[in-house]
Amino acid sequence: MNDKTATPPSADIRPLADRYRRFMLRRVFWLAALSGALAVSFLADVATGPAALPISTILAGLMDRDTLDLAQSVILWDVRLPYAAMAIAVGAALGLAGAEVQTVLNNPLASPFTLGVLAAATLGAAVAIVFDLNLFGVGRNYTISGAAFLFAVASILVVQALSKTYGAGADTVVLFGIAMVFALNALVALIQFMADSDSLQQVVFWTMGSLARATWDKIAIVVAVFSVCLPLSMRQVWKMTALRGGEDQAKSFGIAVDRLRLVTLLRVSLLAAVAVAFVGTIGFIGLVGPHIARLALGEDHRFFLPGSALAGALVLSLASIASKSIVPGLILPVGIVTALVGIPLFMALVLTQRRRP
Amino acid sequence: MTDGLSLQRVTVRYRDKTALQGLSVPDIPPGTLVAIIGPNAAGKSTLLRAIAGLHPAEGLVALDSVPLTGPVRDRNPQTLGYLPQSLPQGSRLVAYEAVLSACRAIRSDFSRRQAEQAIDAVFDVLALTDLALRRLDELSGGQRQLVGLAQVLVRKPPLLLLDEPTSALDLHWQLNVLETVREIVRRDRAICLAAMHDINLALRFADLVVVLEGGRALAAGPPGDVMSADLLRQAYGVLGRIEHCSKGLPIVLSDRALRPDV
Repeated sequence: MNDKTATPPSADIRPLADRYRRFMLRRVFWLAALSGALAVSFLADVATGPAALPISTILAGLMDRDTLDLAQSVILWDVRLPYAAMAIAVGAALGLAGAEVQTVLNNPLASPFTLGVLAAATLGAAVAIVFDLNLFGVGRNYTISGAAFLFAVASILVVQALSKTYGAGADTVVLFGIAMVFALNALVALIQFMADSDSLQQVVFWTMGSLARATWDKIAIVVAVFSVCLPLSMRQVWKMTALRGGEDQAKSFGIAVDRLRLVTLLRVSLLAAVAVAFVGTIGFIGLVGPHIARLALGEDHRFFLPGSALAGALVLSLASIASKSIVPGLILPVGIVTALVGIPLFMALVLTQRRRP
Repeated sequence: MTDGLSLQRVTVRYRDKTALQGLSVPDIPPGTLVAIIGPNAAGKSTLLRAIAGLHPAEGLVALDSVPLTGPVRDRNPQTLGYLPQSLPQGSRLVAYEAVLSACRAIRSDFSRRQAEQAIDAVFDVLALTDLALRRLDELSGGQRQLVGLAQVLVRKPPLLLLDEPTSALDLHWQLNVLETVREIVRRDRAICLAAMHDINLALRFADLVVVLEGGRALAAGPPGDVMSADLLRQAYGVLGRIEHCSKGLPIVLSDRALRPDV
């Protein structure tokens, strides 16, 4: 093409492609390392708690429940395992959702909650608690989760409808999301103002975010939604990667960016809604998870998306351990821990990145 | 059926402003490198964005008689490649991934092997091989511009839309990039529209020069015919002369800028 006399690359010798494949191995290694760390953290989470259970007893009990006495069996299978598994399921869902929302809104400070999903879920829960709803005879706990989920989905549909009408540019969607957050928070405050002191206490506790509400059927629902969303996300990895190279250029490749954005936001909102419906306000996972993944794995979404899910799961799992260890004998709501640990971690990440030339 | 690019009565409106006002140019045949020149805010970038489908336009924009206006998703993704004026700075993709994603974004485009071969070739031409595994946020503006150009060239589109492709490049790479683009245009019978600020570079490399001013085409034609002292004054408000170098190429010598009221 130009006047260089270098021999053109032969079809069979592709040194650049080979170099890139070796480079990718590093990323595979990081994914494996994150998975390994997650497995260790899960075991540590299960081993941590007020009741002293030796790790050998736990491992034996995981293999065969009959080796445990009744108290140990209840502690391990009905308290600690659901708690630890919920941390991983919710962390993965929020990590994946955060990664996708940051890409399609082209904003590393966006999180699933930028769109008002969390505020809507809180409003739903507050309505169910304060008006003492018990719908469809499913019990009060599930009514609260159900109301939180329904309100979250409704808020998503409102943002989607507004975006379809007024344009789905990244800035417009963020603007609608922020408007939703303020409006919904005002409604939550109104309901709290009207509530009696008992209900108020419950609403406040719900907003703290806690894994203590975990049960196996709730975990199954979060895992099911995640399992449906992840493959759908992975089908879009090239489009999302291309989007990181510039929106206008991505459009000129033939990618319908606005449509990609709306479909992705729908998926993100579902993931976030189902996660917060069961555990309440757990902040920062959707923000910190993708940041960690981005540092370790870059932004090739083949690695970035699963990496964000793993990093989100790892951070929440570590927070779960911390929530049981900070005050001996007391389990703090994990939402408080993620916020307290999340803020310094997040600031450190942002500042380290800023300092780079 | 017309071969090539047709632009007739192209009008683009922003909310309170008409950026292109019924712009028409003679049909552009395949194998042509077109330089779009003109002062700031003449409508150069708007024209490229309208053809790329990034902004709605009225009038006729068609390649080989197939209209290009309409939603992006309805268009054959192989039709065109667009290089914007500025590329995002904060991306943590490495250069290789940025170009690979351009190949794989629409699934049917390339097999893995085809993509690897095409990337090897384009990185070789643009001397990007040593930068292939560097992150975009570590590259200079000029290097990022080359990566952006690689994203366009690797897809081998029949229509290339380059918005100031040499604005961040040093002299060596300005010449190298335009030579490369001209060669590809001739070899593949492609059409390239390049918005340019450097008039002499445009006159030297283009087969056809279109001069825009105030959203209209003031003149269009071969570089040797189109430029005149009158046109310089009219389009740019510049007092200047057109000389010819020993190779016969026109060169614009600008003497001074006229005051706006002259």
